[in-house]
Amino acid sequence: MSDTTPALTTPALASGRPQRPRTQLVATGFACAAISMMMAGALGFYMARRHASGPHPGSDWLDGLAVPNPQFDYALLTLGASMITAHWALWASRRQDTAHAWTAIATTLLLGLGFVNMVMYSLNRMGVEIGAGEYQNLAFATTGLALAVVVVGLLYLGLMGLRSLGGSVGQQGSTAFGAAVFFWDFAALVWTVTWFTVYVVK
Amino acid sequence: MSENNNASTAPGVPVEDPTPFGWLTTADHKRTGRLFIVCSVLYLVLGTVLDLLVRLDLTSATEFVTLSSDSFAQGFAFSREALTLLFIIPAFLGVSMYIVPLQIGASNLAFPRAATASFWTWKVSAVVLIGAYLGNGGPYGGWANGVDLHLLALSGLVVALLLGAISVATTIMTMRSPGLYMDETPPFTWSSLVSASMLVVSLPVLLGQIAIIYVDHRYGRVFLFGNYGVWERIDWIHRTPQLFIYVVPVLGVAAEIVLANARRRVIEPLAMYFTIGLVGLFGFGAWTNFAITGEGADIIDGVEGVVLVALYGGALLGTLGLLGLLGLAVIQNRKLPKISTSLLAAFAAGTLILVGALVGFIGAAVDWLEIAGRGNDGNPQLRMTTWVTGQQSVLIYGAGLLGLLAAIHWWAPKIWGRQLNELLGLLNFLAIGAGALLAFVGPTLSGLLTEQPDFVYADPNATAVYSGWIDDSGAEGLSAIGAAGVALLIAGAGLLLLNLLISVGLKKGLQADDDPWGALSPEWMLPSPPPIGEADDLPMLTSGTPLLDSTDSEEVTA
Repeated sequence: MSDTTPALTTPALASGRPQRPRTQLVATGFACAAISMMMAGALGFYMARRHASGPHPGSDWLDGLAVPNPQFDYALLTLGASMITAHWALWASRRQDTAHAWTAIATTLLLGLGFVNMVMYSLNRMGVEIGAGEYQNLAFATTGLALAVVVVGLLYLGLMGLRSLGGSVGQQGSTAFGAAVFFWDFAALVWTVTWFTVYVVK
Repeated sequence: MSENNNASTAPGVPVEDPTPFGWLTTADHKRTGRLFIVCSVLYLVLGTVLDLLVRLDLTSATEFVTLSSDSFAQGFAFSREALTLLFIIPAFLGVSMYIVPLQIGASNLAFPRAATASFWTWKVSAVVLIGAYLGNGGPYGGWANGVDLHLLALSGLVVALLLGAISVATTIMTMRSPGLYMDETPPFTWSSLVSASMLVVSLPVLLGQIAIIYVDHRYGRVFLFGNYGVWERIDWIHRTPQLFIYVVPVLGVAAEIVLANARRRVIEPLAMYFTIGLVGLFGFGAWTNFAITGEGADIIDGVEGVVLVALYGGALLGTLGLLGLLGLAVIQNRKLPKISTSLLAAFAAGTLILVGALVGFIGAAVDWLEIAGRGNDGNPQLRMTTWVTGQQSVLIYGAGLLGLLAAIHWWAPKIWGRQLNELLGLLNFLAIGAGALLAFVGPTLSGLLTEQPDFVYADPNATAVYSGWIDDSGAEGLSAIGAAGVALLIAGAGLLLLNLLISVGLKKGLQADDDPWGALSPEWMLPSPPPIGEADDLPMLTSGTPLLDSTDSEEVTA
């Protein structure tokens, strides 16, 4: 900057507060970065143990467990569908289309709950028993973390959706809901990577 | 603590409760910052006392002097955790929470209640952590539920610090005064952003690992060997290169104080931002848990060696570059700045980061290149000896504590409205400086000359290590030097608390005007201390050195 520009050098005080529409989005971005590294830490631990488990990793790694692929696939499809409805809700809320927005948010939450239910069912069907073996403990911890991220995303989406549609926060509310939808997309990515590592590559 | 509660508050902003209950529910960044600073100094004393007990034990290779064979490992682990998660990270997070909004013309932190929640979560988790250790929990603890409790407390600490770091980073990214671009922000703000961002991408790795350790320890102990499998997987957060992330704000403090005393802008601001960023970036230490420790890679060679040497080299170059830039600013001024506690401590802290990076660089190079047979024929690599303790001491006690001393002396007028006693400050500087040097020299030489083991990596069973390790080559004397240093550090921390009590608590310190140092950055345009609550009138900033700009403008006009 110029050293001689009086307008820049006077310690003037300005009344009023500037709008900060990006604050929640940036904070959500930082949270996503943190969660990415948390999952990297957990999945890195998983892969390191898998690598160290013997000369032929994968031979007896699952301890006789069979992964129910169709159920996990349906869960993933459900999550994908919920991402579409979440963006539908965002699109509608930006246009103040309350009817569409309510419908889309409700559908998203329903699909999200359906996804959680499907994963729990799949784990039960698979017979993952905590404490029964190395794979079981690692799968329980990594899957539990990924599911926790999805549940947090669901809560965030529901809360921001309600605030946005409540109309008390105006344009900033729509941006906040956008941040929640971004987080939901991220949660879906977290689940996909975890599922691929623990249940596909194994 | 003195407070000016006559804020002109903005409409819709809740007025801060001036009663003690207000500290519990505060949404004011200044109160949250103060809570973090004062509490972290108290935990510093606790961690340092434990460190002293551990080091006293190391003065005898055949018997335990202060702790027992059961509690030695836990004392060792607790002192490390206290010095990082309870002291150095939260202390500078607190300084950032207080100073950063004032430096960028923001009315508050981006998420003030999240910041308050981060403090109380940190506080409660710290109490639980201490409780777990007291109940024979923690790594190597004999109480299984206590080990689990320790892991939960550790998770709470990490989540709390992450919440605070995200709040600080988001504030800097989105709440700067309109016109204050990122390349105009004061160096402390920039260093806070670098440190907070690096905390956000490094500490969560620990969370992911803790989840697995917890599940395995609580349910079946299938593959992590119970309480013995905990420490080696979480120790990376107390070691270099990760420690560099914690001391990045010290570089910002040093730059603020040196430049203000020289009354100069740095000759090339982008170079300053780059060098600070380099130290933070090269401090990313999470990878070492997989590459070097954790799952059993016991010798540094090949790629790990190259990466480690490069990381330490980067931190070394970054620190050297910043110190060079600051030196140029002093030379440009053509007269020596006035000596003060803050200036001495800032200069020493910056120099000790350089020493820490240099020691790391030498250690990694020696291990990698197998100089003097390190890593062969039963000779442990330096990273498995107390060489590591020396590095921790120079960075946490030397750079961290001296940096905090500099920051507290420099910003005390802005934080409490009073200047700290300068004579006590100088004594404080001498005690901490001498203590840090002794605490660094003793174990570093012991690791280099006598191969005294850093017990965890030799064998998790402390008793087995120290009964099997027959010392006849001077390690006991060198350990005593380290212990004397830590004793001096306890005195130094006590002096700091005493100075705060006398100057601030008893109001004996000089009442400060807005800019008692003739400093440059925006926070010195505000009253000392700024009123609590969110002020309606915010400074309109377009520069990180508005007060220097004013002087320049007057000179041009004249």
